[in-house]
Amino acid sequence: MIDALVFLQFNSWKNRTLQRFRRLKQPKYLIGAIFGAAYFYFYFFRFLLRPAHGGQPNAPGWTGQWAADLPWLLETLGALALFTFVTLGWVLPQDRAALVFTEAEVAFLFPAPVSRRKLIHYKLLKSQIAVFFGTLILTVMTGRILQGGVAPFRVASWWLVLSLLDLHFHGASFARTMLLDRGISTWTRRLVVLGLVGGLVIWVGTWAWQTMPAPPEFNGNGDADRANLKYYVRQLTQFGPVPYVLYPFRLVVKPYFATNGWDFFRAIWPVGILMVLHYAWVVRANVAFEEASVEASRKLAERITAIRSGRRQPLEGTRKKSRPPFQLGPSGRPPVALLWKNLIAAGQGFTLRFWIMMLLIVVSVGFGVAPQMHRANNFSMVLGPLAVGLLAFSFVMGPQIMRQDFRQDLPMMDVLRTYPLPGWQLALGELLAPAAILTAVQWCLILFAILAFPSLGKGKLSFDLRLALGFSIALLAPVLNLVSLIIPNASVLLFPGWFHSGPQAMNAGIEATGQRIVFMLGQLLVLVASLLPAAILVAVAVLAGKALALPLSLTIPLAAVGATLIMAVEAALGLWLLGRLFAKFDLAAEGSGN
Amino acid sequence: MIAVEGLTKLYGDFVAMSELSFTVQPGQVLGLVGPNGAGKTTTLRCLAGIIPPTRGTIQICGHDLARAPVAAKQELAFFTDEPRLFEYLTVAQHLAFTARIYQVRDYERLARPLLEELEIADKADKLPGELSRGMKQKLVIACGLLHSPKAIFFDEPLTGLDPLGIRRMKDSILRRAREGAAIIISSHLLHLLEEVCSHVLIVKKGRKVIDGTLAEIRRIYAEQHGATNLEEVFFHATGEGGVPPQNP
Repeated sequence: MIDALVFLQFNSWKNRTLQRFRRLKQPKYLIGAIFGAAYFYFYFFRFLLRPAHGGQPNAPGWTGQWAADLPWLLETLGALALFTFVTLGWVLPQDRAALVFTEAEVAFLFPAPVSRRKLIHYKLLKSQIAVFFGTLILTVMTGRILQGGVAPFRVASWWLVLSLLDLHFHGASFARTMLLDRGISTWTRRLVVLGLVGGLVIWVGTWAWQTMPAPPEFNGNGDADRANLKYYVRQLTQFGPVPYVLYPFRLVVKPYFATNGWDFFRAIWPVGILMVLHYAWVVRANVAFEEASVEASRKLAERITAIRSGRRQPLEGTRKKSRPPFQLGPSGRPPVALLWKNLIAAGQGFTLRFWIMMLLIVVSVGFGVAPQMHRANNFSMVLGPLAVGLLAFSFVMGPQIMRQDFRQDLPMMDVLRTYPLPGWQLALGELLAPAAILTAVQWCLILFAILAFPSLGKGKLSFDLRLALGFSIALLAPVLNLVSLIIPNASVLLFPGWFHSGPQAMNAGIEATGQRIVFMLGQLLVLVASLLPAAILVAVAVLAGKALALPLSLTIPLAAVGATLIMAVEAALGLWLLGRLFAKFDLAAEGSGN
Repeated sequence: MIAVEGLTKLYGDFVAMSELSFTVQPGQVLGLVGPNGAGKTTTLRCLAGIIPPTRGTIQICGHDLARAPVAAKQELAFFTDEPRLFEYLTVAQHLAFTARIYQVRDYERLARPLLEELEIADKADKLPGELSRGMKQKLVIACGLLHSPKAIFFDEPLTGLDPLGIRRMKDSILRRAREGAAIIISSHLLHLLEEVCSHVLIVKKGRKVIDGTLAEIRRIYAEQHGATNLEEVFFHATGEGGVPPQNP
């Protein structure tokens, strides 16, 4: 029976791979593959293939004693990370044990005369594909960061770590189900696990409090501070309870740092024993996972469908209603209806989770900039430039992040096509929401920057000048956002097959990465070209103002008015072209979401 | 009225539909039938202005779909087999959005009886994800009928509906036809088509096999091949089900 399952897995993989190779006959995939391969080679593999530096890890900036201490530090960090992963595996999940199968696997395998244990074996075998892929990615990534070492040992070590984690999480899910069957609720389990972890932390803390010297204070001397910190961490992790707590986890990560065959062999056998124990734990578990698996496979199928149709949003059932931004009347300009619709869609992104994330970011940034503020003794020295940085980020990345336009509606393109609206109105309506959101955010940042930006010495950025600059950027922002949004939307309509949300999205290879790189470069080029006339005008105006001895605080806003007019004409032209593209857009084209 | 002349749609070398011509007058219900891959959905998508035909002209209530797409689309509604809804808009928001797009000024007066007729009046605050497939289908129909279209296209309209829903859908189609709408229905449920269609157009491999009134076609095939219902007519006309293709 297991032969049939191996056959299924092998042939699925083989056919998928062949399909990828076959489609390289199409230029768009071939070009994407070339760019993707070049990216992976130059960014990752080049470092992996580079000759080892004496078999020692050699991260940039680590020299001398630091380089010698690096394996120990990384081993400790690795063990700690593994400890955290395993703990979270027992705390976070709330579902019953569910081996996730595809819907086809559920339909074929569950009614078939296949024992539960064989299904587990099949699942473990199948998860090896993900483990191998993960091994490859982590090897090249860590190879990029940590050059040197012995590549085959690193590959084998990553495989061991990921396989063991895979087995552990399967075993943990079965154990969770058994606890639930015995009346131990999810929250009871969480409290017990967190209680145990908390107990360990208290134990370590108490030991450190009683036996260790106080944590080192930072004196602003980089090397001395680092040396003190290193010494403290070493004492903490080499003595007392920490080595015992981290011992099994340290065993698992140890093979990665082997520098020769003998070291690797000595490090690997304890991991082998752990693996055998885990395997026995998983295959001997007699837990009914089928019902939960059917539900999990349904969710998986929905997620795949969502991605294939270009949606990035959560599944239908998990959506929350969001309040409309304003009351939409039945009469008036139709594009406003699209703005209204897309603002509602955008509103769904502002969930509790989003605000918690924002709060975390603000707190993190606050902690990050607090020392600088303290040193600068001036909040504006940090907050003003921070606002300007965020403003620049919003202009460059905003149109890529805010996608409540054709990119979001690509799967609904056939519905949009039935609307009785001229193409340019549809294009305008589709782009209004992201443009409005970005502009609103940017205006807030501009206001903040005007007020908070420091008046640097010699009055170079006086309040007048800040006001003039702020006014100019605020004036330009709406049209600049529109132009920036037209470009990716036009790309979607021009090359729907290249926009990676079509049926190939779930079966993307390196060509997908390559396609994204080509797209990004193309978009950047077009954006620069569209900015050029306005930039030339501003430059000429500033030079003329200088010649006429006009103050910058007057020249810049005047130039901005001209630049805005130029950009507005470009935006109007772009919208008209986008409308034409939409009218000619053939939904039968590959990757259009149909 | 729907008038199609020489409609041809090519996908590269593949002919999805070739030189299709027919008309549907107000009050008529045309059943568009054919085996899988015959070009039915392609035809409907061309008629709805979703995909451009390679050749040919389409007139919707006197408006050329290629030259005056906005005026033509104002008069039509297209219902796909799979309900297509915006996942982030509630039922009520879908109606408000559709009303603005089609400029239906008194939509609230029209929407209320429509929602009640379709039995989704109590779902106004629900998102599509909270509705069953049948309910979603009903919402799509409510949105589509809000602007009182004169040309209506249904692609497998009965998929996912319960028996009562099917009955109501049939009644609704017939009532719209009585009110003067020209309707085209594509479906594989031939016995149901027999109950609602006044005319039939059979296509196969992108070509028209036969069209005419249901009674006329039934009579012709009954006289020549002994076919007594649309299903037998279909098998004889298309050569499906082991019956060799036989044109009258």
